[in-house]
Formats: sequence, C-alpha cells, structure tokens
Amino acid sequence: MFYYLNIILLCLGLSLTSCFKKKQSEQDNLPLQDTLRFNISTEPPTLDWSKATDTTSSLIVDNIMDGLLDYDSSKGSLELKSALAEKWSSTPDNKTWTFTIRKNIKWNDGKEFEASHVLDGWERLLNPKTASEYAYFLYPIKNARAYSEGKLKDFSKVGVSVNEQGQLVVELEEGKSYFPYFVTHTSTYPIRKDIIKIHGDSWTDPKNIVTLGAYNLKVWEHDKRIILERNTNYYNQAAKIKNILIHIIAESGTALNLFEKGRLDAIQGLPSRELPVLRKRKEYRSHPILATYYYGINVKQKPFDDVRVRKAFNMAIDRKQITDLLKGDQIPLTGWVPKNLLGYDTSLGFKFNPEKARELMDEAGYKDRSAFPRVVISYNTHEDHKRVAEKVQAQLKKHLGIQVELSNEEWKTYLQSLKTGRQQIYRMGWVADYPDPDNFMTLMTSYSENNHTNWGSGRYDSLVEEAGVLSDEKERMKLYIEAQKVLVEEEVPVIPIYSSQSHWLISDRVAVFPLNIMGKVSFKKVQLR
Amino acid sequence: MNIFSIKTLLSIFFFACLFLTLALSFLNYEIPPWLWCVDFGGLLVFFSYYTVKKRMLAYVFKRILGALFTLFIIATVTFVLLRTLPGGPFDQEKTLPPEIKANIEAKYHLDRPLLYQYGYYLSGLIQGDMGESYKYIGRNISSIMAETLPVSIQLGVYALILSYLLGIPFGVLAASRQNTWADRTLMVGAISGVSLPSFLVAPLLILFFCFYLDWFETALWEGPSYYILPLLVLGTRPVSFIARLTRASVLEVIQSDYVRTAKAKGLHHWTVLYKHVLKNSFLPVLTFSGPLIAGILTGSFIVEHIFAIPGMAKHLVNSVTNRDYPLILGATLIYSTVLIFSNLVVDLLYSHFDPRIRLS
Repeated sequence: MFYYLNIILLCLGLSLTSCFKKKQSEQDNLPLQDTLRFNISTEPPTLDWSKATDTTSSLIVDNIMDGLLDYDSSKGSLELKSALAEKWSSTPDNKTWTFTIRKNIKWNDGKEFEASHVLDGWERLLNPKTASEYAYFLYPIKNARAYSEGKLKDFSKVGVSVNEQGQLVVELEEGKSYFPYFVTHTSTYPIRKDIIKIHGDSWTDPKNIVTLGAYNLKVWEHDKRIILERNTNYYNQAAKIKNILIHIIAESGTALNLFEKGRLDAIQGLPSRELPVLRKRKEYRSHPILATYYYGINVKQKPFDDVRVRKAFNMAIDRKQITDLLKGDQIPLTGWVPKNLLGYDTSLGFKFNPEKARELMDEAGYKDRSAFPRVVISYNTHEDHKRVAEKVQAQLKKHLGIQVELSNEEWKTYLQSLKTGRQQIYRMGWVADYPDPDNFMTLMTSYSENNHTNWGSGRYDSLVEEAGVLSDEKERMKLYIEAQKVLVEEEVPVIPIYSSQSHWLISDRVAVFPLNIMGKVSFKKVQLR
Repeated sequence: MNIFSIKTLLSIFFFACLFLTLALSFLNYEIPPWLWCVDFGGLLVFFSYYTVKKRMLAYVFKRILGALFTLFIIATVTFVLLRTLPGGPFDQEKTLPPEIKANIEAKYHLDRPLLYQYGYYLSGLIQGDMGESYKYIGRNISSIMAETLPVSIQLGVYALILSYLLGIPFGVLAASRQNTWADRTLMVGAISGVSLPSFLVAPLLILFFCFYLDWFETALWEGPSYYILPLLVLGTRPVSFIARLTRASVLEVIQSDYVRTAKAKGLHHWTVLYKHVLKNSFLPVLTFSGPLIAGILTGSFIVEHIFAIPGMAKHLVNSVTNRDYPLILGATLIYSTVLIFSNLVVDLLYSHFDPRIRLS
C-alpha cells in the first residue's frame, strides 16, 4: 500500500512539472538567420578595458568599444583609419600629436562622447591604484611614467590635454612615428568614470556597462557564454548581423565537435594535431598573424659565448622542415621581423647550410664533437613546442653531430627559470601589440625585460631608437634592416624559427569573415548568407 | 505502519519534493524558491531529528568544531605551499616593467611580509570574504564559487543517483548469480569502467551517441539532452566501483549464519537478499561514499573540460596554473568542506545500517 502511494505521488510530481516555468534562456530568442555563433577558449578575465591584457578580453572589448583610431583591415599591412578621432596630425619631430574628435557620437546611455572621456581613460590606466598591467602603453607620453610610479601626483602635468577646440593634444617624451598605433589598443579606449564610480568593480556587468561600439554587451554568463547585440545608435556603419552568440569552450576538440554538428559558425584555434586533416576541408582558412616563434641563446653560457657556435646552430636548423611538420602554413623565418611588417626581408639571416655550420664548429675548436659541452634546449610544456624541439634536436644531431638534451617546465616555472638566466637555449614567442616593427625590434634591446639572452649591443639599441623617431618609411626600413643584420647575422643571440598563422574553420553560412594580421575579430564586418 | 500518521505523510511529501526538484532541474525548469525551502528545511529537520534520536548531538557538535579546525589547518598549509611554487601570479610572456609589477603587488598586498598576508587572508576568511581573484580581475572568489559550484553539484547529484541506482543492483545481481555469465559480464564491465579513463570514455560516447546515433548534444550545458553524456561519463567509474564493492560484500554476508537460518526458514531467495543481506553488505559502500560524494559533487576537470560545462572543477586545476592564490585557496576550502561534511554524514549513517555502531 505504502509503495503504491509513493509511486502515485511520484507520478503526480512528474505531471506537476507542467505547472512550472521552463527556464528562459536568452539564447532561445536568437533567430538563427540573424545570429553568428562563435567560440572563445576562456572566460574573459575582465571586460574592464583599462585592466584587460589578454586576447580574449580584447576580442570582446574591441567589438563593444572603439578607440580614437582603428585599423583598416581591407589592406594587408594594417593602415590606420579614423574612428572616434576624425583626424590626427603631428609636428614634424613626431613629438606632439593632435587628435580631432568626431562630433555627435553618443554612448549607449545617450550621453555625448567628449575628448575628456579619453583623458579619463588614460588617467585611470596610468593611476597606480588601478594597477593596470598595460599602463606602460602610455609611457611614451611626457611624465606618464612618473605618474604611474606614483612619483607625480598631478595628472595635469602629464603630457595630454584637451585644447579649446576640443582636440586631444598629446605630448611625448621623444618623437615616435608609430604613436597613433597605440590609440588603437583596447587599453587606451575612453571610459566613463561616472559609471565606474557608481558601480565599482561590477561596472562591466551587462546591466551597468556603458559603451559606444558596434555591439552592446547583452548577456555575460560567466564561464558559459556572452551575447552581443547590435548597437542601433552606432556612429559608424552599423553591424550587419544583429546577434553574436559566443560560447566559452576551453577544449579545441569540443569546439570542433560543435562545429561539425552545425552549432558554431566559425571556430578559431584548431587542434594542431588535426591540422593535416582539417586543412583539406573547404571551410579551412589560415591567415598570417604578427607573431613569431624563436629560440633565444644565452650568450653568457658556454659554449654559446662563441659567436661561431651560435652561427653554426642557426645554419644547422632547417626551418622549412619544422613548418612542414606543423602543417599550419607557418612561414619559415630567418630575419627578425615577421611577414607583413615593414622590414620583413627573406634574404636576412642564415639560410640552411649544414656544410658551413660544420666548418664553423670546427673553427670554434670542436673538431672533436664529443668535446662539445652538454647543451639543453628548454621549452614550456606543450605538445607543439615539444614537436619543434624534437625536430631541432634531430637536425642538430644529423647536421652537426651534437646530441642536445631537451627539458620542459610548466609555464610559470619556466618563466621563473628564464628570469634567473639558467637556460642555455630557450623557446619563446612574441605576439604584436601594435602592427609596427618597433614592437619586435625593441624586444631585443639591451634594456628590454623580455630579452633573456644576456646579449646587448649599443649599436643595435641606437639603430632601433633612431628608426622609431623617423616618419619616412624608406629611411626606417633601412635602419631596421641594418639592425636586423646585427641581430641575426653578426651577433646572432637568437634563432628565429617561423612567423605564425591563425587557423580557422568558417562555415558556409558565413559569407564574409574578415581575418587580419593582428588576429582581431571585428564582428561588425561579418556577413551571413 | 500507519500511513496516515503525520510523520509518514510529511516524509512522503518531503521525498516527493526532493524528487520534483531533481526532475525540474533535469528538465531545465525553474525551481521555485518554496521548493528549495522545503528541500533544505526538510533535510535539516531530518538531519536534526535523526541526530537527536540517535543521541549523537554532542558528537555532531564535536565533529563540526573539529571540521573548523581542520579547515584552518588546510588553509594554512595551502597558503604556505602556494608560496613555495616557482613563478608568481603576474609572471607572463611579456615581462612587466618593475614599477607596474609593484603597483599590482601593492594592490593585492603581495608586497607585504608573508605573515601580514596570511593574517589578512585569515581575517577576511573569518568574515566570510575569500578575497578577489588575480586572474578574473574584480571578481570575488565567493561569487565565482557561487556561480560554478551549483553546476557541478547539479551534474554530481545526477551522477551519484545513477551510481547507486545501477551500482548496487548490479553488485547484488552479480553476487547472487556468482560465477555465471551474468556475473562475469557485469564484472568485466565493472573492471573496464574502473580502468578506462574518462578522457577516453567521453570521446567514445560522443562519437557513438552524437555522431552515429545523433541522440544527444556533443557539449554545452543547456538542457536534458546536454546532461546525459557528461552524466554517463562521470557515473561510469562510481557505478563500477560500487558494483564491485557490493558484490564482494554481499558474497561475504551471504555466508554468515543468520543468512543460512533465513534460508532454512524457507524464505524466498530475493527476500533473503533484500531483507537480510543488503543492509549489512551496504557498509563498505557507505565507507566509500564519503570521498566519492565529495569528489563527484565538486566536479571532474576532464568531464567539464570536454563537455564545456561551466562548473567549478576547472578552477581547482586552472587556478594553480595561473598561480591565482585566492582562487586556489577558495577552491581548496570549498572542496575540503564538502569532503568533511560528506564524511560526517556517512559516519552518522553507519549507526543506521549497523546499530552496533554507536557514535559518541
């Protein structure tokens, strides 16, 4: 009796479910024909653009906000075009820059956009209390560094102001021809201090955030999904697609499964092991990005204090074999600046030349290869880095007759080891912050925090600095090529390996999906069939 | 038993509510607040009534005090261990200029002596504040946990129910048909279930159910058809484990004298199993349940990773890779709390299954 009653009650319970409300998800209301479905691999650490430093956060911020200037992605080498600033100009020494702000731009809460909002953004970025990692982006500005260090308390002494015509005037410490690129970066976007004051840290919640980009942030379910909706009051050409549904999917294989099932329209970051198969598909697309992959050589450690050994290693590595192995259309690199940037030149650096490499080794006093000291190549633990390192190991064995060892460490441990300078040869990469060769060239200056080779050359430093001031492209190019010669032909503290590519699957539903060398995704230009 | 007694009716109502909650959550319906109140209220009443009846109140109180002390030790040890890890939270590919690093460290008090940081953390903890994540800037650990833990628990509860619902009958069946094909099939299945890793089971199930049969969704967390595969993958191991444990202990109990007596009385085979064997052979399963419940409720990194489930397990792993100290501590403490609590419940249940055990 008791058991029957129980069962009846359970059935009753089941039938009761009809009286309850089904969970309403925003996603259910998105019509497929007006929605692009996309994936990102991690939860964006923050959408506060003064604090964001990673590519995922920037991807979202770039679509809900605009900067003073933007890239013209219709051209291969990204040129600048106007955005919030209508015009920009500089004095001949590239020291003072003036940005004329476009009129009649409204934030999505209806308030008019003003030059002072840019000023607010920069003050916040530099303020030591904000503790922004990208504060150094504005260091070229006069007194900005002192303000960020807390030595200068008065922001009006920092070289940025709004003049009577409402223009933004920026005064730099020293001339920089590529300064306008900095104002395309998310960290330099204008902000609304009044909004941040009201909501505190939660100002980036969809219900609080105030933006002016092509899309509005509609939903942000942490670790799950983000939904963007077209901003109908956008000052520029409005976005083609109304809704962007972005799933947060950590595993690239999972994203691939969802793509196969037609649940995603475009996926980025394909599993590298699958590339040989995926690249044959019609949806596959790869595009060069401004990123390089290289090995650094610690010149303080034996046997690499001898430049002949460094040169020999450079010549004994066949980059083509490595890119063939990875099958991701990477471009073999012997110079320092990646493809699509001023100063990229395939004739720079050493071509694969095992005979010459062996000669150099003999000259360096290692005729007897068994007398060659123990050498370790270090990399951070990752499948792809391992594959490259093993290939390099095999090539050195084959062409030089040297047995090098491989050693891998977990990422943060690896970074720690790099700082202590224990490594002999280390793997590293660099992804451009702005599309100018300066970003890659300053990396190897003697005072750069990212140069772990212990190598420094006054000549290289001054060439790079000199080039940074110039506006004339030909002159700049000349200097950058000369500097690269010092780096990859004379002193060779580095072994450039390849210039990277981004890999995509883009479904037939998508008619237009612009890819660019900065790896930026601009949803407003995407079109569906 | 009088089915119309208040007590019986109340417990029927309570179990119906529990079942309803489960069904609603599985079918992706909104669960009204009153239902939550009944569930949690009922559990609390049931728990208190049981403790008082068994005269274990003092014991429970002592255990809770002990748990607090354990948590304090865990927080301390984790705190110290974290600082011995090489690499810091703000080390990254692009090295930060020293003054910027100083600003960040000042913001999170990392420039202060370790003892100060420890004191600061503990005082926050006592006030229920687990601090702010280093990685997810501006987000509180409590809010991260509040958003991800329920998802893990939801999946975990389904998997747990599946484990007991399948594991115990499988074990009993295998034991009562010892050395027959049924026994062998079940035990081969159980051994594979225990030994096959979930990163293998998951893709196999996806391939079969999503790509060949097209029954379920491959990933995401949006409704019943999304829940089933992760639930199967998460449940495989506990089902197998429970089946094996049950089988072993049923076999042992079956040989005891009182079972022989029961059989001699002429009771039916299944009646003997159900009335006399099952309850006593449940003790090993119960022992195993403490860590099992804690492990399953806090989620599985692999299952959440493969199925893109917004649960908490990924924070247990990724926070370490990111050296996100507050998040590591928070996730560890949550996990420990669930573990300690489920062990306590298991210990209390002992005396229900074996009245000889008295806790005091």
